[in-house]
Amino acid sequence: MVNRKTAEQIKDEILSILKEEPLSIDQIRKKVESNWSTINSYLEELSKSGKVKEIISADKKKIYQRVFGDTYFDIPITDLERKKFRALFSLIMKKYKERNKTPTKTELAKAAVKVINSQSSGLAELPTVWYLYGMIPLMIANPSQNYSEEIQLEHTPKINSIIENYIQENHEKKSKQLQREQHIEYNDALYCLSDSFLDEVQKPNWDKEKIFDILNNFFIACPIDNEFQEVFWLTDRFVSTVRKLSYFDNLENHKIKILLVFDALWKFIATYKFYKTLSNQKRFLGKESLVNLYLGNALAVRKDCAQEAISDLHSIYWSKLDDREIKEHPETKKMKAIMSGWTGED
Amino acid sequence: MDKDSFLDTNVIVYYINYQQESSTEPIYRSYIYIANKKGKFIICHAVIRELYNVMSKFATLHKEVLKKVEDSSYNFEENKNISKRDLPFAQKIYFSYKDYNTKDLKEIFASQRDIFEIGTEQFLKNKVDSQVMPMEQINLELVNKIRDIIPNYADCQILASALQYQKDKGIFLFVTADGEHLDPNGYDFLKEHFEINYPKEKYQFPELKNLYFEE
Repeated sequence: MVNRKTAEQIKDEILSILKEEPLSIDQIRKKVESNWSTINSYLEELSKSGKVKEIISADKKKIYQRVFGDTYFDIPITDLERKKFRALFSLIMKKYKERNKTPTKTELAKAAVKVINSQSSGLAELPTVWYLYGMIPLMIANPSQNYSEEIQLEHTPKINSIIENYIQENHEKKSKQLQREQHIEYNDALYCLSDSFLDEVQKPNWDKEKIFDILNNFFIACPIDNEFQEVFWLTDRFVSTVRKLSYFDNLENHKIKILLVFDALWKFIATYKFYKTLSNQKRFLGKESLVNLYLGNALAVRKDCAQEAISDLHSIYWSKLDDREIKEHPETKKMKAIMSGWTGED
Repeated sequence: MDKDSFLDTNVIVYYINYQQESSTEPIYRSYIYIANKKGKFIICHAVIRELYNVMSKFATLHKEVLKKVEDSSYNFEENKNISKRDLPFAQKIYFSYKDYNTKDLKEIFASQRDIFEIGTEQFLKNKVDSQVMPMEQINLELVNKIRDIIPNYADCQILASALQYQKDKGIFLFVTADGEHLDPNGYDFLKEHFEINYPKEKYQFPELKNLYFEE
């Protein structure tokens, strides 16, 4: 007699298969050895309960992804990595609790990065990424969760000592300071310049020369990547629009707008940096799935938002633009002579 | 009555970059043509897009040179961020400025781009009478027909815009300073190509005014 699988068994199998990578209904059907409509109806059920989500929906091809909700953009990690992350977060939480303190999200994340990147921790394989506020663990660090040591980490005493040192050095620092010090420690020019820019524009009186110097450096630090040309193009458009506006109006009149535009641009750049860190990791080398399945939508939305915000700022500049003669830099003549005959056309 | 002028990208770039001391004849003629405006100036959206592409290229060129000034082992000749056509300009800029303080140089270059971009946008805002032919209205079939003769796609889009806009209008001037693709003989050849191969369409060509070849 053939034992038929129960509905629960099939659903468990589907969830288990989807742990490693997103799959189409047809691929799942073959692995579970069931028919298309059964798998489709169970997937719809699992989707309603939030355990899976449809990430690509074409006429005949639907691709489903397992939802754990515990990594950024639901990027898959292995079960072992998940357990190691939880054990690490648990150790950090305990050390903070010994000081009668619950860590903030930033403290938990930055301490975890510190441990992962310390050679003696033995956790170097745990994925970390650059994102909005610097380097973070790919698994979301959430201090309100009750993490437990589901597995014993190999170098627990060493890890505890790294955590203790970290807390000792940083327990009085605010999140912003922790982020900034990390940007400096890992020497990422774009993040450091972003910090400097925000510092300058939040001052009550703007030092235009200093702001322009930071923007000039930001322009140089921004990568030209043929895969994502918009990262440089939009950065250049932002820098040039702010500079051009300054010839026709006091920039401080547009402080909030400039901050909002920079925020939109930074979200796009940080999502790109997130993508770049992961795409350089072994597990995603040469895999288009990173963009196609996980980050494509976020990158597209953030690019559009940045584009729209810059276009708004440009409209302000355009409304102020008149036909006054702009005083040229004394070096401009020399440069114009060099560029004589250049049209920039292909 | 003076004919209206449908302007190509290069005429505008030359006008913006003109300076008395060091300009070549085509640049001088472009400057004079625009400064002594006669008739209306018409710009198509393909030219506007091209002007913003030129700004981006200018920025890339400066960025690559600055990276080399900061680190002389940086090789912009091989990374393809700068087109082959622009490479000699990048090299000239690098050799002229390689000993400057980089902080000052970044500001010099940025000011140069400000002047170029503001000049271009002042021109678009204050000197242009009509902006015509949105990109989505450009006839792709026509672009491909022009491409039989002219290899550059952006040039084909601009010319297609001019041809479409010319329909049902009095002849205007297509004003360019292109010494490579739109010489008077080449333009006549293009017209012939259309008369022979696409006689039914009866495209009316604007009158070519190529400032590169004029005396």
